Amino acid sequence: MLLSVLIFLPVLFSVMIVLWPQKSSVRHLALGFSLIEFLVSLVLLQRFDPSSAALQMAEKTTWIERFGVSYFLGIDGVSLMLVMLTTFLTPIVILASWKSIDEKIKGFHAALFILQTAMLGSFLAMDAILFYVFWELSLVPMYFIIGIWGGSRKIYATIKFFIYTMAGSLLMLLAIIFMINLTPEVTGGAMSASLLDFYKLKIPFIAGDFFTTQTLLFFAFALAFAIKVPMFPLHTWLPDAHVEAPTPGSVILAGVMLKMGTYGFLRWVIPLFPDATEHYAWVFIAAGIIGIVYGALVAMVQPDVKKLVAYSSVSHMGYIVVGLFTMNAYGLNGALYQMLNHGISTGALFILIGMLYERTHSREISKYGGLASALPLYTIAFIIVTMSSIAVPLTNGFIGEFLILLGAYQYAPAVAAISVSGVVLGAAYMLWMVKKVFFGPKGELVRAHPLQDLNIRELAVLAPMLIMIFWMGLFPGHFMSFSTTSIDHLIKNKHNYSLAVVSTSMKSLEK
Amino acid sequence: MNLVSSITSAVSGVSVGLTDILLVSPMIILFLFSLLPLTIKVLRGNKEQQPVATLMEALIGLALTATLLIIFSGSGSSEAGVPTAFNGQLIFDGLTMWMGLITVTIGAGAMIMMFENPSTRGPQFSELIFLTMNSLLGALVLISAVNLITVFIGLELMSLSLYLMIAMSHEQKISKEAAIKYFVLGSFASAIFLYGVSFIYGSTGTVSTLDLMKNAEVLLKNSNHLFLFGFLFVVLGFCFKVSIAPFHAWTPDVYQGAATPVTSFMATAIKTASFAAFLRIIASKGLIGSENLFSILQWLAVITMTVGNVAALVQNNFKRTLAYSSIAHSGYVLIGVIAVGISQSSAFAAAGVVFYLLTYSLMTMGAFAVLSMIEKNENNFVQIDELAGLAKQKPGLALCLSIFLLSLAGLPPALGFFGKLYLFSAAVNEGLLWLVLWGVINSVLGAYYYLRPIVMMYMRDGSCNTSESGSFATTCMVVVSAILIVVLGLTSGPLFSMIELSLG
Repeated sequence: MLLSVLIFLPVLFSVMIVLWPQKSSVRHLALGFSLIEFLVSLVLLQRFDPSSAALQMAEKTTWIERFGVSYFLGIDGVSLMLVMLTTFLTPIVILASWKSIDEKIKGFHAALFILQTAMLGSFLAMDAILFYVFWELSLVPMYFIIGIWGGSRKIYATIKFFIYTMAGSLLMLLAIIFMINLTPEVTGGAMSASLLDFYKLKIPFIAGDFFTTQTLLFFAFALAFAIKVPMFPLHTWLPDAHVEAPTPGSVILAGVMLKMGTYGFLRWVIPLFPDATEHYAWVFIAAGIIGIVYGALVAMVQPDVKKLVAYSSVSHMGYIVVGLFTMNAYGLNGALYQMLNHGISTGALFILIGMLYERTHSREISKYGGLASALPLYTIAFIIVTMSSIAVPLTNGFIGEFLILLGAYQYAPAVAAISVSGVVLGAAYMLWMVKKVFFGPKGELVRAHPLQDLNIRELAVLAPMLIMIFWMGLFPGHFMSFSTTSIDHLIKNKHNYSLAVVSTSMKSLEK
Repeated sequence: MNLVSSITSAVSGVSVGLTDILLVSPMIILFLFSLLPLTIKVLRGNKEQQPVATLMEALIGLALTATLLIIFSGSGSSEAGVPTAFNGQLIFDGLTMWMGLITVTIGAGAMIMMFENPSTRGPQFSELIFLTMNSLLGALVLISAVNLITVFIGLELMSLSLYLMIAMSHEQKISKEAAIKYFVLGSFASAIFLYGVSFIYGSTGTVSTLDLMKNAEVLLKNSNHLFLFGFLFVVLGFCFKVSIAPFHAWTPDVYQGAATPVTSFMATAIKTASFAAFLRIIASKGLIGSENLFSILQWLAVITMTVGNVAALVQNNFKRTLAYSSIAHSGYVLIGVIAVGISQSSAFAAAGVVFYLLTYSLMTMGAFAVLSMIEKNENNFVQIDELAGLAKQKPGLALCLSIFLLSLAGLPPALGFFGKLYLFSAAVNEGLLWLVLWGVINSVLGAYYYLRPIVMMYMRDGSCNTSESGSFATTCMVVVSAILIVVLGLTSGPLFSMIELSLG
């Protein structure tokens, strides 16, 4: 029941927010709700058994019998931390948007909670159709968040975001339908959309022949996820969406929604199509490397801080893709860890940029300078987050990138060599930006505005993120211990992957 | 069915069997109730009665029709076999029941819209209701007919009423143009259909769909050209009615010219009925193996989807966008129809088609109803840009329209997604993978133009509002459809199984 509660509580919250009579207290209400949701997820964390690779707390009820579609939820080490990330970021986002979202407040918070439901559902669904429903559902609130509360080119950005993602996912839907039609051979007659039955399928694969079932299915799924990640060259929707989205939209987009793509690789693509994944891993690693270098180079020349961070996302997500497709323990653990890091550090960067934008209404790097003396606390926070983003040791970014580079080295030293250049480039563009914005002579905006340093609310927004940066950097074991069992299980059994199911009510599952 | 047979055995020896009368009782009731408002008008000395009374009479008639349909038609699994009336002219199986229910329900929705739309209310409301109900009667005949001549009668009854309904909007010149256009092209299509029937009769010696399919296998094997041509013509006649490209050219003009409630009636009820008849002819097992026919149909489906969606991309008029969207959806349904045609056990695919038509009718109806509420007067053609600001003025209505549009785009968890899922699953099941791929690509195109009105409503400032004159009934209808789309979407599994079972 716990997983269902976790997923559908936000829907209830969203309805209550819409019906709430008092406009002035909607924000407090939403913050309270999101904290309740976070507490529920802490209960989940506490009940989770990290020593088991099985699917835990599973729930299964028949939904559409004719197609073998069921309401099937479960959690394991792969999804646990992403669920936590989602519930952790939501209250922060609500608190961060306290001032910046000042019209249609009810609609905004309602959309945010629906989005939370969709994201949690995507991470927890163990049924292909259920997963697809949540996956597509996540588009709608984000579409509205960018389109209604976004910047000047919001409509272009939001439609591009929607169409790109939908194009990818519809091919995935076709692949899912095809696989549902394959399942009778493993279930003995009835169709099934359960992921566990998909895992049992032996899908024919012929190396080198593109038009074999497994290869085609692999690319149909991979395309959907690659667009979401986004991988070079499918990334072009991301800078537009990020720049036009309001701060909370950017944070959720970068923090969680991009992870839905990488999670998809980990949960669906690699275990379902192991042969094709191995055979075509080089394509994705190459695209990942190009993404790392290209994202960093483009970020370097951006005049707009937010665009710079958006392109840095492309670069960082490239690391995660490289880590995933090395298919070894270092790479996969690092990729999973980097997903969390990126969620926190890039999320924090977007929040910080949003705070600056609220003060000066500009994001142009050249108009700043000498901000450090005007906003000392802000500068400290920004520099810490920057350190995390460029993977300085002691911060969380270091652990993730280091593991991924180890994995890449194991796969092929050349891959690691090129990937490493991204670290250097990343440091270059971030530090260059920090130098221009915070040090040197005071820019026109800094001189013209009487700037106020961080207030209590903003400190409360940033404090959890800064704590996480160091906590995850100093004690990675605290977090990784939840996922290693599942990742090891995946690596060991990737050619006949399966998940045992642990649930509170075993009887209903045996049916 | 036990009810019918028991009554029949009690009263035997009537020349037109009581069974026949009972089976067609929905149609009889429908016709009698269609006369009611008209008769009252005559008795009152050619003065309109209260439109509410007219509407109520019509709705009661439709409710009775639907009830009788459920009672007397349905599963063919009973030992007596599938019930047919008048020596096998009309069949009352599951398909008749479901398609009939969809048509009648949608017809009721259209009438509610007519009651409040500026171009359809007014001094000729009773006549309009009379025509609508007769068109529905034709649709019911068309749905249940298993004899090509009866099919033709149903088709003509349905269409002739419709021509008049389109022309009746008194103010607009464009509606007269639409009516003439539809009449000329429609007659042409009917002629082609009849021509095809004559070929079929010539080659098989029968016009009963049930009988001629027994011979069809042999005729196809010998590639009897007369029969093939005849069959092709019949199919093309249907393609015109359901606006399959390249026979779709009338659709946008006629849809735009007709009053919005009439358009919605055409786009949903008429299309559902025509597809039902189409399905009946295609579904007969005799056609399995006629690869030429099905490859023609597959290409038509691809062309239809693409033409519909691409043309819709560049429309600025909301009604024309919906018209092209309806063409595109005909293409999707045709995928299902083909799957039914090539399938050995067609119930699964047929259920997919029926379910999709239900889905499509509900959401298209809803979208047209919102449009109907926005129209201020007879000559108001709502452009998509004019929707700007609706979300601010009427948030509930904007939400409903968004649900309809997102459902049309096939986004879960709305009903439209499940419709597509079932339809595409059926097609994939029959190995029509490349056709489904086209459907999927087209869905992406579709998403773009379905999003445009949403962008306007929510993201642009404007002062779009509903017309001042009352629109309570239409509002209720819109809200009910929107709720149905969400709720039926989540509980579609049992409904689908039910449809499949009754078609089995």
